[in-house]
Parts: sequence; C-alpha cells; structure tokens
Amino acid sequence: MWLIIRREYTVRVRTRTFVLSTIGLPTLMVVVFAVPAYFASRRAGQTLRIAVVDETGGIGVLAAQRLAIPELPNGSPQFDVVSTIERPAHPQVTESRLKQKVLAGSLDGYLLISPAPGTEEAARFYTRNSGDYALGSALANALTQAAIGQRLAERNVPVSDLDTLLRRVGVSVVQVKQRRERKERGQTFQASILLAGILYMSLLLYGVTTMRSIMEEKSTRIMEILLSSVRPFPLMAGKILGVGAVGLTQFLIWAGSGALLLGYGEMMLRMLTGGTASFHLQLPMTLWLWFVVYFLGGYFLYSSLFAALGAAVSNEQAASQAQFPVTMLLVASFIMFPVVVRNPDSTLSVALTMVPFFSPILMVMRVALEPPPLWQMLLSVGILAVTTVVMVYASAKIYRVGVLMYGKRPSFLELLRWLRYT
Amino acid sequence: MDAVTLRGVTKQFDGLTAVSGLSLSIRENAFFGLLGPNGAGKTTTLRMLLRMIIPDSGDIEILGQPLSHATQDRIGYLPEERGLYPRMRVRQVLMFLSELKGLREAEADRRTRQWLERLEMSDWMERRIDELSKGMQQKVQFIAAVLHEPPLLILDEPFSGFDPVNVALVKNIMLDLRKRGTTIILSTHRMEQVEMMCDSICLINHGRKVLAGELREIKKAFGRNMVRIEYIGNVDGLGLERFATDINRFGSVVEAKLRPEIDPQEILKAAVERGVALARFELMEPPLADIFVESVTKARA
Repeated sequence: MWLIIRREYTVRVRTRTFVLSTIGLPTLMVVVFAVPAYFASRRAGQTLRIAVVDETGGIGVLAAQRLAIPELPNGSPQFDVVSTIERPAHPQVTESRLKQKVLAGSLDGYLLISPAPGTEEAARFYTRNSGDYALGSALANALTQAAIGQRLAERNVPVSDLDTLLRRVGVSVVQVKQRRERKERGQTFQASILLAGILYMSLLLYGVTTMRSIMEEKSTRIMEILLSSVRPFPLMAGKILGVGAVGLTQFLIWAGSGALLLGYGEMMLRMLTGGTASFHLQLPMTLWLWFVVYFLGGYFLYSSLFAALGAAVSNEQAASQAQFPVTMLLVASFIMFPVVVRNPDSTLSVALTMVPFFSPILMVMRVALEPPPLWQMLLSVGILAVTTVVMVYASAKIYRVGVLMYGKRPSFLELLRWLRYT
Repeated sequence: MDAVTLRGVTKQFDGLTAVSGLSLSIRENAFFGLLGPNGAGKTTTLRMLLRMIIPDSGDIEILGQPLSHATQDRIGYLPEERGLYPRMRVRQVLMFLSELKGLREAEADRRTRQWLERLEMSDWMERRIDELSKGMQQKVQFIAAVLHEPPLLILDEPFSGFDPVNVALVKNIMLDLRKRGTTIILSTHRMEQVEMMCDSICLINHGRKVLAGELREIKKAFGRNMVRIEYIGNVDGLGLERFATDINRFGSVVEAKLRPEIDPQEILKAAVERGVALARFELMEPPLADIFVESVTKARA
C-alpha cells in the first residue's frame, strides 16, 4: 500500500494542477475577500466634489457646514462642497447646468434639497456612480444634523455648540459566555468563514481528484494489472491516503507561506506604527486541532464516496452525473453557514453539526465562532467517525465490483446489490 | 506438481454463469493454450487465477498453493485490454509495477534497464507513456508482465498490436522463458499461433470445458480427415464434391475435408480414371481452427 501512496503522491505533486491549485486557491481567496474591500476602500478614499442646491432655502448653508465635517480614514474630508445655491432663481437651469458638470466630471455630484409634501424637506443626491452604499448614510447623517440644527434654531435654542448636542453615544455588543467575555465578533466571524471556505474547497478538490484518479486507472485499463498484484482495498485506501497526503502538503505550503506573510506584514506594521498595531489573527490552538480532526474525518468520508463513484462509472459524462449528489452535500453544508453564524447554539445549528456530511464544515465554524460544549464536539466527531468507517467499508465493496465493470452506469439499486457481493 | 489446478470452479455474475464446474490442470513448464469463442469465460477464468475475482465454489491452486498474495506475486499477467499511466515515464511505470510484485527498488531498476535493452527500448526509458507509439506501449506492457520473472506467465492475446518484427521478438522471448522453466498460459483467438507454440490446450465454451489435453493427442483423435491435392492442369474433372466437403482452392492446390464414409483411395482411383494429373496427394490432420469450430458447434447442438 505504501507503494500506491508513494506513486499517487509523487505523480500528483509534480502535476501542473497541483502547482496551479497551490498558487491559485489562495489567490482566488484573496480575490474573493480582498478585491471588493480594496475597491470599496479606494472609492471611500476619495474626496467627493459636490454642490448643494437648497430649494427650500432653510438648511442649505448649515448642511454644507455639516458635510464638511466627516473625514475619511486617511484624514482628508469626505466631501468638498464647492458651491451652495440657496433658492435658485431658475431651478431647472441651475439643475441642468449642474447635471452637465457632473457628466463632464468637474463635479462628483450635487445634492438637491427640495420641499416635499408631508415632511419638511427631502433630498436627492445626483451622481454618476451610485454604487457606494455608505455614501447615502453619510449624506443623510449630515442633512439630518443640519435639519436638527435648523429646528433647534426655530425653537430658539442656540446652535453654536451643535457638535456637543449631537454627540453620539457609542454602543458595543458584548457576548455573554460561561468562561470569559469577549468583545467584537468581526474577526472570529471572518475566521470561521475562511476556515469553512478552505474546508469546502479542499474537500471538493481532493475528493474529485481521488475520483478522477480512479477513473483514469479504470479507463486506461491499468486497473487490471494493478488488481493482479494488489487487493482492491489497499488499492483504494492507498489512493485516498496518497491524495490526502497531497492535500496536507498543500495545506502546509499555504500555512507556511501564510505565516511568513503575516509575520512579515506584522513586522512592517510594527515598524510603521512604532510597535502598537498588529493583525490580531491569532486563532486559538484548539481551533486548529479541531480543524485538522474535521478535515481528516470529512476527507475520508467524502473521498471514499468519490472513490466509490469513480469505480462505479466508466466515462466522463456518467461521472459528472453521479458526482452531482455528493457535490450537493458539500455545497449544502457550505450554504447553510448563515444558520450557524446567526446562532451557533440554536437547536438547528446543533442538529446540523451532528449530521456527518455537514459536520466537517459547520462544526469548525461553530468552534471558530463560539466553542460548543465538549460533549457536542465528541458526539459529532463520534458520529462522523462511525459514518466514515461504514462509508469506507461500503465504498471498498462498490469499488471492488466497480473497477472491473465497464459499460452503462449502474443504478443506485445495482450499487446496493454490489454491497452484498462476496 | 502442476502449475495450475482448478477443481469444479464456478463463477456467476447476476445469475449469469460465466464459468461452470471447470476442472483443469496445467503441468509445470507447459505452453498452454486457453481457447474459446468470445464470452466463453476465458477472461473470467484468468482473473480467478489472479485472485482478481473470487470463485463462488470450487478451488484453485497455483504451483501447489491455494491463492494468496504470495501466489499473485508469482504470476505475470498481460491483460487483453492494455493500459498504462499515460503521464508517467516508462522507467517509473515499470519500476512501480514490479515493486508492486515485490521486487526491491535496486533490483527493479536493474531489471527494468535490462528488459528495456532486450526489447530495444532503452532510448525511450525516460519518455512519457503517452509519447510512445501503440506498439511500443505494448512492449512496455509485455515487459511489465515478465519483469519480475514469474514462474507462471499469463498472456491474453499477446501479439495483438505488434508488427511482424515485434511478433518475432516477443515470440522468441516467450520460447526462451519457457526453456528456463516458465509455465506459459496463452489465451487467444489466433489458432495458428496456438498451433505453432502450445503443447497443450483447453477449449471452453459457455463456461464449460469442451476439449482439453495435449495438442498432438487431440489432433490425432480428430484423425487425418483432411486431404490436400496438388495438381497439374485442371482438377474440375475429378468431381471432388462426391468425396469431400469444405473445399478450398488455392491456385494449383485444393484442400478439403473428407466425407466420413469415404476411403481416400477412392479419390486416387477417380483421378486415374478421369485423367487428372496429380503432383501430390496428402492426408492431413485438421488445422486447430477447424477443430475449434467443430467442437464449438457440436457443443452448441
């Protein structure tokens, strides 16, 4: 069996697919996670040149003052109010002139405050690019403050220290836990999604790799020679372990280079900030431990399923059809993550993390969000382990019959019949 | 001791009987032909010898031992359906397959080089399998079967895909291995090869043994019922149809099968009477192909 593992490993590590996926998957992750963030921050990093048109003639100037206050993370103002027009004589002319400026790019947008029935005033912001959802709330904030100032003035309250009057009350959400209390869920949330994403992608990737590898041996008919030397079970087990070892190698490469990058980044950050800032990406050791446990359990479960499929089918088309239900199990467990994220301790979350096909991904999320009681962990691992053993056993039987069968794809009933063969 | 013994071996697949009560023994150092029409159960039988399929009943012994991992290692197998890892290099594949058969790495390496040399493929050692021509892939596969120098060699259609030069090369290697004590089982449809190489055969049909034994004995039992006539001029006047069936004409030679009640002398008499000039008149054993067809059709009836 060692030979099988070694061949699978050495051949696979040298393939282009391995190199590509080793580099590609983290790149994809970075693209998925970082690119939208980058674009959002770049847009947010620009001062917008705007004009304010006040058709009501009440709050335009005050609004322009308030708009000048909010700052961007880099310290420059979010808005640069280039002109304020109160009660324009010819509203339509003014507006069409501003519209042209916006289209020509000399202005990023203009804010039109107009009287509206029922309320005192309503505003619209005209801009070329309406994608930034944060912009609306920044504008509404400034306008609301201006309107409050205006209303206070109407009630003869001096508005010279409007800032003090409008000071916000900060609220931070604190999670109550048995052991210790921890603030801020943003980071654990990201970590849980990241870990679940890694698990999902790698279970799928290595499972399908196992399947393809078996199909290749079957379709090139080298299977006959292999089976004349090796029993089917070690052949299948060797394949699964070989691909698994490739997967672990890939993890190690990722973890190693990730740690290096983080370490380097943190060092740079320390140098720049004088030793105060850090990335705060220290995840607890136990999380990594459970991650490995669930990766191994999930990997053996899914790859034995994929192995049985690879042995049962004899062409590409049948393979992609047969692959569908298994892939769906993985997809399902990944897309159910909101249930777990919203409430990791709910009955539904607990139930889902007991289902062996879901637990590898969902339980790791729960552990990352908020460690569940030990008995739940042990029960879930136990169920997963038993299912995996049963699955490997059943897959070995299907594999043994399937590898020598060519032709039409066997039906599910036929597969069940194969289980009874001696 | 026999190289292979089967006793009442039966194998069914989903109610379909592939091999039924087959008993067979192949003596050591035999060149044995396993024959039968398509779907007769040849491949199933071979797979059972290799422990790839477990029989439903009956038992099998290889070199005096029940089937085990050890017996698997003592067999070399060239399956009918050929295949290798397309993206591995020739040397890697051969090393891997022979190490699976229990060879140590150094020994596997030595023999790989030696056999590639012998089959004139040394230059291709570091090429990938999918860069090789079909004939060359066949050679690599043949090497994979013989590399661990097994005492029992099972070859399923070993010559298919080879050009005549390679057929001769492979045939000589087979004969040489045999001289050194290897038992060879040849499964093929090519009767002329069996006739040329095998000393004993077994013909199976529908999973049952139809005919088995020494090739010479079998042919003798079928008798010299073939006639071969070389003539000068014209043979039409002879009226051969009265004496024989299955008449084949090749230029100035006619081969035919005698009708059972006919005495060959009657043909000679007729030739003299009708003035047909004969250059040669010969009674022959039937070719194996005819024995094959006759046995199979008789068994069917």
